[in-house]
Amino acid sequence: MANFETLLKKFTKLSPKELVQLDKACGWSLNAAELTAAQACFRRIRREPVRGELETIAQTWSEHCKHKTFSGPVRFRSKGKTKRYKNLFKETIVKATKALNKPWCLSVFKDNAGIVEFGKNKKWGLAFKVETHNHPCAVEPYGGAETGVGGVIRDILGVGLGAKPVLNTDNFCFGRLASKMKLPPRALPPERVFRGVVEGVRDYGNRMGIPTASGGIYFDDGYLLNPLVYVGCAGLIPVNKIDKKVRPGDLIVSIGGRTGRDGIHGATFSSANINSETSPGAVQIGHAINEKKTLDVLMKARDLNLYDAVTDCGAGGFSSAVGELGAETGARVRLENARLKDSALEPWEIWVSESQERMILAVPPGRLPALEDILNAENCEYCVLGEFTCDARLLVTFNNETVADLGMAFLHEGAPNHEKEAVFTPSAARRPAKKNNRPHLRTLKELLAHPNICSRHSVITQYDYEVQGGTVIKPLQGRSGDGPGDAVVIWPHSVTGDLNDFAGFAAAHGFNPPVGRIDPYQMALYSVDEAVRNLLCVGAEVSKAAILDNFCAASPKNPEVMGGLALAAEGCHDAAMAYGAPFISGKDSFYNQSKDAAGRQYPIPLSLLISALAPVEDIRKAVTINFKEAGNPVYLAGISRKGLGGSVYEEIAGTGDNLISAVLMKEAVRLYAAVLKAMKRGFVAAAHDVSQGGLAVTLSEMAFSGELGAKLYAGGAAAEKELSETELLFGESPSRLVMEVVKEKEQEFLKLVKGLPIRKLGFVRLEPVLDIQLGDKRLLREDINILKGLWKRELL
Amino acid sequence: MSKPKAIILRVTGTNCDIETMNSFKYAGAEAELVHINELLSAKKKVLDYDIMAFPGGFSYGDDISAGKIFAVKMAKLAEDFEAFIKDARPVLGICNGFQILVKTGFLPQNRGNKLAATLYTNDCGHFMAKWIKLKVNKKSPCIFTRGLPDEIELPIANGEGKFIVEDKKVLDGLLRLNLHALSYCDNPNGSMRDIAGVTNKSGACLGLMPHPERNLFAYQQPDRPAGFKEALAAGYRFFRNAVEYVK
Repeated sequence: MANFETLLKKFTKLSPKELVQLDKACGWSLNAAELTAAQACFRRIRREPVRGELETIAQTWSEHCKHKTFSGPVRFRSKGKTKRYKNLFKETIVKATKALNKPWCLSVFKDNAGIVEFGKNKKWGLAFKVETHNHPCAVEPYGGAETGVGGVIRDILGVGLGAKPVLNTDNFCFGRLASKMKLPPRALPPERVFRGVVEGVRDYGNRMGIPTASGGIYFDDGYLLNPLVYVGCAGLIPVNKIDKKVRPGDLIVSIGGRTGRDGIHGATFSSANINSETSPGAVQIGHAINEKKTLDVLMKARDLNLYDAVTDCGAGGFSSAVGELGAETGARVRLENARLKDSALEPWEIWVSESQERMILAVPPGRLPALEDILNAENCEYCVLGEFTCDARLLVTFNNETVADLGMAFLHEGAPNHEKEAVFTPSAARRPAKKNNRPHLRTLKELLAHPNICSRHSVITQYDYEVQGGTVIKPLQGRSGDGPGDAVVIWPHSVTGDLNDFAGFAAAHGFNPPVGRIDPYQMALYSVDEAVRNLLCVGAEVSKAAILDNFCAASPKNPEVMGGLALAAEGCHDAAMAYGAPFISGKDSFYNQSKDAAGRQYPIPLSLLISALAPVEDIRKAVTINFKEAGNPVYLAGISRKGLGGSVYEEIAGTGDNLISAVLMKEAVRLYAAVLKAMKRGFVAAAHDVSQGGLAVTLSEMAFSGELGAKLYAGGAAAEKELSETELLFGESPSRLVMEVVKEKEQEFLKLVKGLPIRKLGFVRLEPVLDIQLGDKRLLREDINILKGLWKRELL
Repeated sequence: MSKPKAIILRVTGTNCDIETMNSFKYAGAEAELVHINELLSAKKKVLDYDIMAFPGGFSYGDDISAGKIFAVKMAKLAEDFEAFIKDARPVLGICNGFQILVKTGFLPQNRGNKLAATLYTNDCGHFMAKWIKLKVNKKSPCIFTRGLPDEIELPIANGEGKFIVEDKKVLDGLLRLNLHALSYCDNPNGSMRDIAGVTNKSGACLGLMPHPERNLFAYQQPDRPAGFKEALAAGYRFFRNAVEYVK
């Protein structure tokens, strides 16, 4: 290792090569342009920096804190055409939100989470944020998942003046458990990652008393070396607590956990590739009970107006939290006041440590005693680190030693950003499916047992998915409480305190990397469509859906990766506009690639998680997926269209079809509006979306969850011409859902949906058999208990 | 008559306190969240209340074992708690609250309040949340389960729910007196004799692993028929019974 102390002392005189050497030695993950910019600053003020200053810059400019790739300039080329973006994020995702200009969006893209209006009387806001914690989970799955959950909860505690969490979400991507690929040294097998991540989410979320109720698990060998762990949290906040403003003179108070050596360089490490030298020490250690105390203190102190602003200590620790809160004022920090886990910490380490469970408050000095009373009553530790000033400077000392003395403007505006190259080459000709004679029943059975379709109960039941008593539509539904729901509905009476107010909200997700491998633009459309449709299936107000984007990708230095990202971002824009669903927050994670056993770079597929929320006017009227009553007619809404590209069928049958049907968004919006109307009038007894595994899987799940059979005629479906039997049964073309209609209401239902592609397939029956025919031909027939047995596997 | 006053005891890590409070309020009680620190500093006194509840959660992180540290803290106030129970004022311990009542020795009632039982790690080895069917013991003196049908459904959500008794005599006595107010139809955790909830001889103190506060209304259940005939569900009865008993 280079002697970085010597290099540091002559920082302003270093050659570009030496700068890179220093960066490596200190683990900052800054690029050459950024290092030169930092050097220029210190040349301008004619002095050498101290380590704490360069650490502060590295944290503030890190990919994790700044999102420099997504909000930077991009030059996109495809099929001989070029398009330039000054700021990809602003010109796609933010642009749609601005254009939609929904009055119910209360705070978007500026705080720790997005906030929309909640409830009838405009008293509440609903905050939602989804984060990733991929790199830590690859190295230390349990700790990584725990602290991921802890971190996103703190985003909700730190939005506005603090929201009360009412729902946790979790979406995971792992390598296939049956994968035979040789792993490089230090890479953990997928089963170990899976188990560790689930246990981490369980132990943290359950102890916090927040229901972990919404999410998904996706297996694909692309995630073998770089698993993805998306963690989300939603919370309620009084609308008059959304604005925060630090005032000069406010004390900087840190509450919750102590500062330790854990999590040093987590923010910068997230931009480095994982290799055998990666230190698990960059992953923090979680302690849920400390965070629970912090939550209890914050909610009381918020309602007594004991502080002017709050934010969480996330990536970058004190340096980011104090830097953000003090960006417009200035701050004076005395690090000797920090409570430590380890007294041997260097001052700069205290400054950047990402130890968990810490929140920073801006407290008017006169209100400190009242805050201290609450902290003591809840046995919650705290320390006063310093105060916010009015000199626009960040001055950090440890006793008399300077740790950092920087202008705030330099920190927040000094980062250079260079143009990224992006290209996209459409995949080769779309080959039509070869004819094959797979028996349909065999296919259905394989699909139901497929890891991407089978039951998630062995994971879900480890989470306390209904603490707070408000999970009225649960992840597991139906007669035996084990059917797979499309969305959850939360009735947040534990926050509103009103058991006679039936306002709630639904949460769901859309995720489709296989379509992204073929067409990243369509992937974004598919994902938004699926998320919105899942919300629709429980009866949520889809015209008021709010969505989050969460991109995970490999290295943005690869123009192909940037090309996919740019196309998906364009898709996000177009889908948001068509569905009238604004993005309210988002996050991105890059460098999800590692060297495989042969030393080659092994990237993840481009992955976009769309997480969505929508209001449910009356939670008593929300709908589940299970068939309810024999004799009720079964309807399919939406047109079944050609293409098996990206489907689970294609994965198991391998016919080489890469045709996907484009999402027809205008048609979908019209269809969904009519379906919602029917639901509100009580015409719909059950609804379930058609997604992975296609129509046959949807019908199986509705039947066995309701412990009722059905006799169906697939020929009744609205379908594209020359649709094959396989496409009809197992195709995953978008914008479709199956509904069980209350038989007494069928005529009214039909009047309401007249002119739309909503067609009758058959009836629910008492006999526990799923029977699907096409004309006179029987496509498949099986006992639903056998189908359920195949589906209800123990994944863990 | 004025409303009965319920004290909902909480400590660091308690997390079902608000919905438990709301349930008592909905059933007609005045309910108040009180931190054990407020009792230890004598700011509040348990004997000023008519009903006491120990809600679910992870008191002190369930460190050592579920409910243990809470139970140790309570020892300093043992006289007040003993007087409350001796008075046959209603005491309800749900999930972690049941674990606390067992680890203080209040349940199962035993001479000298020696620990006669424990709630141990589930047979599956980890936390488990699901809806289960329960048999209601109609012969039990339990005041909370009065008027319930023979079989009800409630959700469980715990890691340490396996009820075990060291001394067979204690178990026999418990069964003879019908103090097993609730038992599992399909034992989810390995509890002895499928026991899910235990009361004391007066019937006024009940500890149970399932969560009645999560099934106050039919629309909180996983199986939702199209349209609800009756909004109130089995869980409501537990809270209402306590209120009626006091009145």
